Amino acid sequence: MATEIEKAIVTNIQGYSIHDGPGIRTVVFLKGCPLRCVWCANPENLDARVQIGFNRRLCKGCGRCAAACRYGAIVPGDAYRVDQVNCTACGECVARCFYDALVRYGAERTSEEVFEEVRKDKLFYDASGGGVTVSGGEPMARPEFVFELFSRCREDGISTCAETCGYAPRAALERVLPVTDLFLFDLKVMDPELHKKHTGCDNAPILDNARFLAEKGASILFRQPLVPGYTDSEENIRRMAEFILSLGGGYAIELMPFHRAGAPKYAALNLPYEAEHLTPLTEAQIARARDTYLDCGVRCIVSK
Amino acid sequence: MAKAIDFDLLRKIDALDLSERNKAWRSAMKAAGWKVSADRERWTVKSWRETEGEDLQIRRAKLLKCVLDNIEIKIHPFDEIVGRPTPWVIGCQTAFDVCGDYIPGIWDDSGSFDATLDASVQMSREDLEILREAARLFGPVSMPAMTYKAWEALVGSWAKDAEDAKLKDPSLDSAITGQSTSLLSWRKILRVGLSGYIRECRERIDAYIAAGGTDIDKIYFWQSAVIVLQAVIDHARRYADLAEAMAAEEKDAAQKAHLLKIAETCRYVPANPARTMREALQSMQFCNLAKMLENPIQNNCHWGRADQYLYEYFRSDLERGVPLEEIASMLADLIGRWGTQTFVAAGTQRLSHQINFGINNVMLGGLGPDGEDQSNELSYLFLHLVSLLHLSSPTVGLRWNKKTPEWMMEKAIRTNLATKGGIPLFENDEVIIPSFVRDGIPFEEAVEWVGLGCVYPTIPSRAEHYGAEGVAAFNLAGLLHLTLHNGVDINGRQTGLKTGDPREFKSFEELYEAFLRQHKFLCHRIFWLGGVARDMGHKYLRLPLLSILGIEASMELGQDLMKPHPDYAMFGISDRAIIDVADSFTAIKKLVFDEKVLTMGELLDILDSNFAGERGEEVRMMCLRAPKYGNDIPEADAMVRRVSEDSAAIIRSYDNAPFRNFMISREGLAWHYYGGLGVGALPNGRKALEPLNDGSLSPMRGMDKNGPTAVLRSALSTGFNQVAYVAVLNQKFSSSLLASEDSVKKLVAYTNAYMSGGGSHIQYNILDTETLKDAKAHPEAYGDLIVRIGGFSAYFVQLSPEIQDDVIYRSEFNL
Repeated sequence: MATEIEKAIVTNIQGYSIHDGPGIRTVVFLKGCPLRCVWCANPENLDARVQIGFNRRLCKGCGRCAAACRYGAIVPGDAYRVDQVNCTACGECVARCFYDALVRYGAERTSEEVFEEVRKDKLFYDASGGGVTVSGGEPMARPEFVFELFSRCREDGISTCAETCGYAPRAALERVLPVTDLFLFDLKVMDPELHKKHTGCDNAPILDNARFLAEKGASILFRQPLVPGYTDSEENIRRMAEFILSLGGGYAIELMPFHRAGAPKYAALNLPYEAEHLTPLTEAQIARARDTYLDCGVRCIVSK
Repeated sequence: MAKAIDFDLLRKIDALDLSERNKAWRSAMKAAGWKVSADRERWTVKSWRETEGEDLQIRRAKLLKCVLDNIEIKIHPFDEIVGRPTPWVIGCQTAFDVCGDYIPGIWDDSGSFDATLDASVQMSREDLEILREAARLFGPVSMPAMTYKAWEALVGSWAKDAEDAKLKDPSLDSAITGQSTSLLSWRKILRVGLSGYIRECRERIDAYIAAGGTDIDKIYFWQSAVIVLQAVIDHARRYADLAEAMAAEEKDAAQKAHLLKIAETCRYVPANPARTMREALQSMQFCNLAKMLENPIQNNCHWGRADQYLYEYFRSDLERGVPLEEIASMLADLIGRWGTQTFVAAGTQRLSHQINFGINNVMLGGLGPDGEDQSNELSYLFLHLVSLLHLSSPTVGLRWNKKTPEWMMEKAIRTNLATKGGIPLFENDEVIIPSFVRDGIPFEEAVEWVGLGCVYPTIPSRAEHYGAEGVAAFNLAGLLHLTLHNGVDINGRQTGLKTGDPREFKSFEELYEAFLRQHKFLCHRIFWLGGVARDMGHKYLRLPLLSILGIEASMELGQDLMKPHPDYAMFGISDRAIIDVADSFTAIKKLVFDEKVLTMGELLDILDSNFAGERGEEVRMMCLRAPKYGNDIPEADAMVRRVSEDSAAIIRSYDNAPFRNFMISREGLAWHYYGGLGVGALPNGRKALEPLNDGSLSPMRGMDKNGPTAVLRSALSTGFNQVAYVAVLNQKFSSSLLASEDSVKKLVAYTNAYMSGGGSHIQYNILDTETLKDAKAHPEAYGDLIVRIGGFSAYFVQLSPEIQDDVIYRSEFNL
């Protein structure tokens, strides 16, 4: 079995990403995430399976999708909808749609295929000190895939960066650690109860994994989604700063202020958008959070 | 040697603001209405009548002298440098003696007419009469009128028909006699002064007579040069007199001293070699002013490599203790003055160029003859001043090469952010210099190349006849339209060859072959007619001042540039709309010949209906979804390469003897809008009469869906750099995400990557779509919003709604 090439469900391979690690990077989004954060901006990457999304705004009601569907999963109503139960995500409807109203989230790709795609931008990595970033979803759910991809990148002189929520088996991190140049490690909430409430998972394994990577001397940039009423309390920030300082190594944290850009994708997947009531933070609120980190002695940058 | 850079000076430059004089000028300029003066024509008509019977060369020289001696002059309180073609802050003269009867509006008794895209002017009855008199006198025998007559004798109405169908450029309308020739020989002018030129002309006359020379045209040329050069010196002295008279009346001591300094400067230059920055800039202004008064339609005040030839004056001024602020104020004055030089565009030119101001260029940095990059502190100051001035002109180019220093690139990107308008654009030394060398230009000359017009690379020492003969550009999308209609153009005329009804074609290759036949027919016919125009030019027009100050070789040759010399003349051509054609071919090949989901008959019927009805819409969607260039899809990109290479081969196959063959530069101004008016619906999904693609390597609007690196990979795969000197690629980036220093560095890296991969040109629009939409809806609030279109900047609110939409919809990438 060792010779079999690893596969993963890839939602998107996005070139010219300049906010996910050093230089100009290509971000590979893998599908499937163990957490269910209220504020998630990429709901298409929650479910590990391929899904069909539908954007009502773009639909012209031509009906070509319904005619193409062999499973009766296109339900004509006031506009056409995808019945996620009957849908096999075969993509026939997507291929028929002229207006990009239907979109297929995810396709199975081998690590080799993804590497070939990533390698095309080597010119830009070389010019900028960039490389590949795997994101998601949770890439640590596919450690062999990431390992193969990163190993090939390394051979080709392409830098490697993994974004993780930290909720992963220790073995997964151990596997990718030797081939990863930088971890973008997300931290949300320090209080275990609140963490469970807002993300659906325990934060103990996450903090353990962070400690593990720090002990191994990994390069880490911590990242915190700054979500009003969820993660931005002064107490939470101070506790998180304390945790980061306890790791030693002078790690920094990057704040990712909440935005609502993911909302249309919830609608496309017919999912409830629980962050509907949240409003983006003001500059002053963001600055306050940053200053609290700085006050605690943790280097802090705000993502732009 | 790479320059040792004074980084302290760069920091001082970063802290500079515009001077009070500069700011006063800017307020006056913004408040000023557009005005057209009849003053010049008063003197052209008078001179022309007085010189009846004399040789054309001498008559043209005396005409300019009469204008320079008599035209009204003025000095404004905020002037650092003096000299304008009219007494107004924004104003221009007309060019009936050069262009013929080129402003239809003057025959309207209301006296109100469109001078340019968005400027209406109102003229008095008396002034209108002066213009009409000039039109009557010069119109019937003007160079353009005589050229059209010659063409008619050869091909009937074909040339006009081809222009009506937007197949060829109507540049003859405006008698733009070559872009590069409007770049004056600044190094020599500053080194020897106009007295030096006069002395040399006289020596040449004496020597030629002593040697028993028999070509009287040479004597007339040198004589005409002496007349105009002396007239420019005398014109400067009129300003000196005026400044002295004003100083005598001036109460404010500082202004009085300033006026006396102006007087002193204008007595010394342009007659003598410049010694200071003030003298250099003032000398340049008088020479350009005279050039514009010789031919007001040619209002391009090109700088060329100003950061190079002005550097010694800049350094020595600083060493003598001239404050940096004062140098900046003088330089900003001249940049602003040249950047707001207006003209009256001929009717078609208004549409095809979409410009109000002259397109003048400054080219910064770049390799020197020693193979090192020449970026210096003055390059940096130029960038800084253009970002403070926030004007649509000049076009600022940075000559990129592998040795372009990081500090220069970062300043260039930050200047892009500050202007939001692609200032500077980037052109690649490492593509363009080897291209010139491949075409037989010695390296030492090639290394001095500059971009003119919008981005057109040329050699300052040679006469570029780009556009001079009504050639300039042709429309490949129009050729595809002809091919799809058996040679019948959009107006129903048989302008093209009868290459057969495409419904009968059995293979894609048959269709492609028909296209190449149309191409060769049109291209070679236009070049042939261009050759005829070349002779007409010399017969009916001379430009002694532009010749002597623009082309150094004209001194030795004793020859006006209107008569091109095989050793020095260069001919350029732009074959436009390659992307539209290639994407259309890709769609036809896929839908009709490979997958056979459409017949050629059905496709053609639907194209002719402009995608009407439900089926039309369905077919249009099929066309739009066919692979498109710009997404790194090999099939689509390979088609671009094929069309590009075949088009280039046809152009290069035309034997232009005894002249150099045509050189290809793929720039485009805002031509894509104009060109689109000649093209019906296309198989790439574009509707009839809509704009074509901008630039020449930009993907179809909204069709580049794989991100900004995929666009560059596609562009690099087309091999344009093997066949063309330059190919324009416009990339639009959102400003909202460009706030950090880090993202500036990443855009530097992106630019470096494209250029080191062999891209010849790239420019950025840094805007967000919402801003543009809002600007379209509320133009009053966005008067200073600049966008780039195919090689030059324009005020967004002054563009036509179609072009505005084009800019809005061009794919937006978030950095």
